[in-house]
Amino acid sequence: MLNLWMRASAWICLAVVILLLGFLVQQSWPYWQQYGFSTLFSGDWYPYEKLFGLTAAIIGSFWAALIALSIAIPTGLAAAVMSTEILSGSWRSLSRTGMELLAGIPSVVYGLLGLWVLLPLLQSSLGLLTGHNLLAAGLLLSVMVLPTIMVMAQDALSEISSEQRDAAASLGMGWSERLWRVLLPQAWPGIRSGILLALGRALGETMAVMLVVGSMDRIPEPFYNLLAPAQTLTSRIGREIGESAFGSMHFAALMACGLLLATVTITISLLAHLRADNTSVART
Amino acid sequence: MNIQKKIDVGLTIQQSAIKADQAHSLKLSGLSLELGGTPILRDISFALPVHGMNILIGPSGAGKSTLLRCLNLLHQSWQGDLHIMDKDVRTWPDGADALRRAVGLIAQKPSLFPCSIAQNVVFGLGRKARKQVSDEHIEQVLRQAALWGEVKDRLHDKALTLSVGQQQRLCIARALALAPKMLLLDEPTASLDPRSKQCIEASLLELAATMPVLCVTHDIEQAKRLGGQIIFMCDGHLIESGDSVDFFARPERIESREFLRWSVCDCS
Repeated sequence: MLNLWMRASAWICLAVVILLLGFLVQQSWPYWQQYGFSTLFSGDWYPYEKLFGLTAAIIGSFWAALIALSIAIPTGLAAAVMSTEILSGSWRSLSRTGMELLAGIPSVVYGLLGLWVLLPLLQSSLGLLTGHNLLAAGLLLSVMVLPTIMVMAQDALSEISSEQRDAAASLGMGWSERLWRVLLPQAWPGIRSGILLALGRALGETMAVMLVVGSMDRIPEPFYNLLAPAQTLTSRIGREIGESAFGSMHFAALMACGLLLATVTITISLLAHLRADNTSVART
Repeated sequence: MNIQKKIDVGLTIQQSAIKADQAHSLKLSGLSLELGGTPILRDISFALPVHGMNILIGPSGAGKSTLLRCLNLLHQSWQGDLHIMDKDVRTWPDGADALRRAVGLIAQKPSLFPCSIAQNVVFGLGRKARKQVSDEHIEQVLRQAALWGEVKDRLHDKALTLSVGQQQRLCIARALALAPKMLLLDEPTASLDPRSKQCIEASLLELAATMPVLCVTHDIEQAKRLGGQIIFMCDGHLIESGDSVDFFARPERIESREFLRWSVCDCS
């Protein structure tokens, strides 16, 4: 009976994902029919003029995720190494608990902290007219995805046997050599899964990003200007879905943003699981 | 040369070597260790000759493996004096890592790295040495570990595809690639089949002709086969040490006699 229930649950999860994608395809279909994929390369988003270019939001999502990961990956890895290799038992569990608590904080709280602390700080320290920009979104996201990377890297490092550590030490390898040649390469499959899951979260995060990114529907000039207010796919959906009439082209365009986002994040999650499975098969 | 011949030759060479050399490769005096408040090693003192086979024997829980970890500085919180090659290990030139390269330690369970056989052999070398290492050097250490014949055609295969006995010999080759001055082995043939056991014993005896080898075992028959100097430990104490023939024929202490009789010891 339990077995049947577990099987049914797995199928229900799969069915929900398929239904979700089906719903997004159906709702965005008028948009794809009328505009096709050419809008992926257009930066103009003016709903009242029936212009629904997606490029600005795609670039915004890309930069925000890139900033977040480029900060969170080294920080998360350093924290995981510190926790598993240097800290003693009680300090290790304390740091783990801290990270798990950090992961449990609602994203809107991060957004509010960003509004009240991060934006004024960026504005005053960089001399900007407004602190709402891609950098703020990226910094906030980096804190939000940090626990994912840290916890998964910590798990991967903890799985390395003490025999491997002793074997490396008894060969006279110093601490940093053991880290770079034994520990990190062996933990890499778990670390990579953590990075891919963090990327999925960085791309899919809505509320906190929406509060700090500036929601400006245009491609930053130049495109690498991280101090310009911008828009991401999630913040666009979050901000405009309430203003669009159900069944309108504006609504279909927002559904197209959702479909794009869902496809990318589901692909990343699948990739993370696939790589993890391949690695475990290779290990056996 | 078959394995039995190798054992006989090795025994002859190392026995004459022990007699010829009076200097010591390792000198230990008053070594004690506590872990978590529990005394593990108590006032251990002995010396090893410049080369030859030395067997550390005793019941489970005697502290044999812990002692090896102390000699390799994997445990560093011990008290006492330890000199290797007439140098105090606490002031070893270039520190503990350099000492560990000079004192090869082979664990009970082979622990190879997930790379090829050849890469495992040179794993402990520095980056520059790894790039410059010759195929002849790899062949030489694999021959010393009695593994060359079995792996010469598949040096680039994954090391983890080898049998456990072969993996253990690869661990020995990996330690030998660092040109150690001494080899420490922690029950290297535990849970191996007789054939693998014989291969490893033969290669250890050959190695003992050129360097001091300290091998932990609680297999009395193996200790008899390997010969050399016996160091008998029980409950963290060194009970008795001496020539293996004398030890097995006429053990002096009651603990030794009990161990040899029952292969168990109750020192309390």
